[in-house]
Amino acid sequence: MQTRLPAILRTTAFRQTLLSAALFALSSFVILAFVYAASAGMMLRRADAVVNEEVATLSERFDAGGIRAINRYILQRTVGGGADYLYLLVNPNGRSLSGNLITGLPDAQADDEGRVQFTYRRPRVLGTEDSEKDDRTARGRIIDLPSGYKLFVGVDVDEESSLVDRMFNTILAASALALALGVAGGIFISRRFVRRLDLINDVARSVRSGDLKQRAPRNHTGDELDELSENFNDMLDRVEALMHRMRQTGDSIAHDLRTPLTRMRSRLDEALREDGDLEAREQTLERAISDTDELLGIFNAILSLSRLESGESRKSIQPIDPADIAADLAELYEPVCEDEGLGFASEIERGMIVMGDRGLLSQALANILDNAVKYTPDGGAVTLRLRKNGEGRAEFSVTDTGPGIPDEDRSRVTQRFVRLDNSRTLPGSGLGLSLVQAIVDVHHGRFELGEGPGVSVDGRGPGLRASMCFPLKDEG
Amino acid sequence: MRILIVEDDREAASYIRKGLRESGHVADHAADGEEGLEMARAAEYDILVVDRMMPRMDGLTMIETLRDDDDRTPVLILSALGEVDDRVEGLKAGGDDYLVKPYAFAELLARVEALARRRDPETVRTKLVVGDLEMDLLARTVVRGEEEILLQPREFRLLEFLMKHSGQVVTRTMLLEKVWDYHFDPQTNVIDVHISRLRSKIDKPFPRALLHTVRGAGYRLQA
Repeated sequence: MQTRLPAILRTTAFRQTLLSAALFALSSFVILAFVYAASAGMMLRRADAVVNEEVATLSERFDAGGIRAINRYILQRTVGGGADYLYLLVNPNGRSLSGNLITGLPDAQADDEGRVQFTYRRPRVLGTEDSEKDDRTARGRIIDLPSGYKLFVGVDVDEESSLVDRMFNTILAASALALALGVAGGIFISRRFVRRLDLINDVARSVRSGDLKQRAPRNHTGDELDELSENFNDMLDRVEALMHRMRQTGDSIAHDLRTPLTRMRSRLDEALREDGDLEAREQTLERAISDTDELLGIFNAILSLSRLESGESRKSIQPIDPADIAADLAELYEPVCEDEGLGFASEIERGMIVMGDRGLLSQALANILDNAVKYTPDGGAVTLRLRKNGEGRAEFSVTDTGPGIPDEDRSRVTQRFVRLDNSRTLPGSGLGLSLVQAIVDVHHGRFELGEGPGVSVDGRGPGLRASMCFPLKDEG
Repeated sequence: MRILIVEDDREAASYIRKGLRESGHVADHAADGEEGLEMARAAEYDILVVDRMMPRMDGLTMIETLRDDDDRTPVLILSALGEVDDRVEGLKAGGDDYLVKPYAFAELLARVEALARRRDPETVRTKLVVGDLEMDLLARTVVRGEEEILLQPREFRLLEFLMKHSGQVVTRTMLLEKVWDYHFDPQTNVIDVHISRLRSKIDKPFPRALLHTVRGAGYRLQA
């Protein structure tokens, strides 16, 4: 507790609640003070009004009979004690002539209206209880009469003033209590808050020290902390996936680059030893250059992939007609197919608009066409189609009559560096379809591999149908 | 031609320099952007070959500074950054062509020579002539000798590019970039197939071939 509390005091949550508690205490103090001022003032004003009435009565007496009349009146009123008012008549020499205020004229300062408030000693009256206190509060007016006489008329306001005092004390106590409750509540709330934050911080710390499996606890209430945990966990999921992929890529790069590098090294070695035979040396060197080109191809593909996956390529996405892309590539690949002894056909539907990057989509489609050309044996056929599919999306599809890809391998081939065994002898980086997948992902599309036109076409294999579909622009 | 190479990698620079000299050009070298700027201002060069990332002053800043001084010398940017955005940035800064590292020397030479050609007063030509091959850019017709050759639109553009750079080597990548506007390398050699199609139309029926394959580099159209 000793070490825990100061930490609590430093938290934002605690400071916030403390601040609101202080504001609450201050405002309750102001409100109560207002109530105090109003009710205390009212009580005193009532006392003042009563005194004024009596002063009016006395001044009538004075007008009628001078000092004597007042003196008589006071004597009559105070005889036997128990008068409603406090009186004191003093002659010019300062002697008391009559009245029940035995402590003499108060020397308290009068306020603007000539009121004085002071403590006086109540005269002992026979038969009254001793328990009642003798020092009481009086309030009234001192009036200067002609020829030096002074007259005090007042009332006892002891009960009122002690009520006001009690009220004042109550207000102070209530405000203090409000403040104390606020602070206690602040500590309570902020400890709860801080404990939840601590849990998230703990997760962050263990992730930082390398444990990517940790996840922040959720309470599924949808409050801010829960949302924070959710976002935090999503971020960790993404980081973990990226780390995993990076490790995998690292391994694959090591594996797939080692082969061409080794080959190139031995070729260069060989070129060194081919003394004299210039032509053989030249050939060897040329092959080494084509090995480097292959390596560069792999590097470029890896770079493009990481650019795509980091989301940097989204800048150049704009509305385009996919038919333009399909038509350009059909035109590019038709002679290639013909050259390879393959039939080529294209069916292109115009008039759709998708949000896309022409370069990237062309590259994806080119990769798919490259594969079709590469794997379809002589005498086969490649078909490129673009149509609006059943879901109302723009769907590019390329079908060939090659060996196809067995069902169980289809999801695997879009992973990086995966090359099916029967294709290892053909040139290629093993990154072509990964690139297609990444490009399709950037465009919020879907990439699917399925069966081609079927065995019946030439009996050599089921063929492959590769399709990419993209949402039309109006769908959002 | 007089060429200035601005490149901080001395080995790469001397390799380019040697290659350019062997091809009959004069080549100077500056090791960074500031030196390059100084040298480019001091002498008249036909072409600048500028590396993008260099110490002291990077290539793009150097090119921008030159362009601000109203120096229009054609610039070929060399860069390890090869994405479309990087190219666009380079061309915006005032570069005329963009070559991604690593490159074959033949590619660099072809592009340098293509840029030099561009510097010739760009009169609006309506007719291209190479030997007995004539292209009318307004009527979109091609005639060799007496015979009219029918070309597809893309074949027309391919031939137009080759004719505009006649006598020079153009690489496959250049064709892919300038004729098709693709900045990726298809694995199958699509360009070769298109060239052989074009060749069968413009060369095959005639005794003398105009379109030559340059081994390890690309193609050249020459009378």
